[in-house]
Amino acid sequence: MALVAAPEILSPYYRSLALAILADVALAVSWAFFSGPSRYLSLATGAFFGAGAYLTAIVGARVPWPLPVLGGALIGCAMALLVGALALRLRGPYFAVFTFGLAELAKHSLIWYETGVTGTVGRLILAPPEPWTLYYTILCLAGLAVLTALLLRRSRWGHALAGIGADEERAETLGIDTTRVKIGTFALSAAFMGAVGAAMAPRWTYLDPQVFNPFVSFQTVIMALLGGAMTVAGPIVGAVFLGLASEILLLKFRYFYMLGLGLTLIVVVLALPSGLVGLARHARLTPR
Amino acid sequence: MNPTLLVDIVVGGLITGGIYALVALGLNLQYGLMRVLNVAHGEFLMMGAYLTYSLHTAWGVNPLLTLLVTGPASFGAGLVLHRLLYARVLAAGEAPEALESRSLLLSFGLLFVLQNAALLIWSADLKGYSYLSIPFRFLGSVFPANRLVAAGVALAVSVAFYVFLKRSFTGKAIRALMQDPEGAQLAGINLSRVHGLCFGIGIAMSAVTGSLISMLFELTPFIGLPYTVTALVVVILGGLGNVVGSLLGGLILGLVETASVYLATSDIRLIASYGVLSLILILKPSGLFGR
Repeated sequence: MALVAAPEILSPYYRSLALAILADVALAVSWAFFSGPSRYLSLATGAFFGAGAYLTAIVGARVPWPLPVLGGALIGCAMALLVGALALRLRGPYFAVFTFGLAELAKHSLIWYETGVTGTVGRLILAPPEPWTLYYTILCLAGLAVLTALLLRRSRWGHALAGIGADEERAETLGIDTTRVKIGTFALSAAFMGAVGAAMAPRWTYLDPQVFNPFVSFQTVIMALLGGAMTVAGPIVGAVFLGLASEILLLKFRYFYMLGLGLTLIVVVLALPSGLVGLARHARLTPR
Repeated sequence: MNPTLLVDIVVGGLITGGIYALVALGLNLQYGLMRVLNVAHGEFLMMGAYLTYSLHTAWGVNPLLTLLVTGPASFGAGLVLHRLLYARVLAAGEAPEALESRSLLLSFGLLFVLQNAALLIWSADLKGYSYLSIPFRFLGSVFPANRLVAAGVALAVSVAFYVFLKRSFTGKAIRALMQDPEGAQLAGINLSRVHGLCFGIGIAMSAVTGSLISMLFELTPFIGLPYTVTALVVVILGGLGNVVGSLLGGLILGLVETASVYLATSDIRLIASYGVLSLILILKPSGLFGR
């Protein structure tokens, strides 16, 4: 409720902070509902996000507002179907490297296309929607992502996905159509990422291909893992925590913040395999 | 095509390729043996380059002599990192895939730490110095002497490592572990010690390449990642764990890139690297020379 009423109460600064954190929540939750249970480590978040954002920049003011967001979802979904068909038979780090390479390939191809063919290096976003429209769009997307994650956990698809993460060959032997489950869920998570990208684009007045930022991919992974990727609450906790930390530290101490982010990732991997939420649960279950 | 252009491409390609081969060899050693896909590999190259730059500009040390500092220093750093980070993950005894993903995440963390530490120490400005930039004529083409020296040293280190792997007792232990980890341990080879050694050697190779590169190009803290990607392409091209494959793969990629820059434009270079990487991963993940 507080989040719905937020734009009325908050000053523009806090509204914009809440917007950024909600976008992170949407990204981290939608990353985790695929990569958490399936254990396929995707580093393509930046590519889906970038594609959505660039779509908004291109179609811009020519179409009414929610359409670019829908378009972003479709483009993310389409990219994921293509990538998934090619790459989901790669396991472990090969999949991670492939998705990372793909995001970079998309960025450099776009730079090459924009400078060589259209002769521009970026695009202006004219006539962005009202700030509160953006806020509610992102709030809806974050809410939908959480709802999807919750429903998915209880559904047959969610169990099938967890089965794939535990042992893919066994899951296949048990009659699960692993390819369909993997690609389907991957595309669903990419649709959210594309939509978030499209909805966040109007925050910048100027966009260039650098919006295909591998940093977005890493930050999403770190948020989800920090909170705990196997739960629904985990990525939300991680996104809020890192979102606030980056707001306080990123502008003033940029390099220290990024350095700290790297250290956080190392500590989480070594000491907190189930994240902050896992740690909290463990503390509650262990009698003192 | 006139003969001078051909010499330009072949010699230029071999120079670039020799450098690629050494970076890739270091990465391959880490992956082939430990299944640690070290995406921070290029960051050690960047650190080595800055170390040489600082030693040369602050105290006027000859850049080639700084190899004697960057090599051992990075080897030591590799041993410590292995002990602190990777040995603990490997000791957890999980399924290979979970293990590979966790060590991959660790090296991403390392990448952030090293790159931003370099930004804090040396700032984002371009840094560089000039060394041996005298022209050297060869079959009608002209090459700067520093490139020939850098490529020569890189190839010499690669070949020396190959001989070490084939002839020495430790080299045999490394090969035995690559072939059959369990059998080798039954024969009394200390897995953790050899892993640490190889991680150290791999990182030292990257840092030494960085020292050599600092003689040729200007530096920023962001030069590491493109070399990591190049090394990945070479390793995947030549086959994981395949030392000769890495050497040949490095030379091939050097030739292809140089040719594409001469014949097309230089913008296409990164697109070509990532494109080749994606294609090989899809079509033949075991590498060109893989079984």
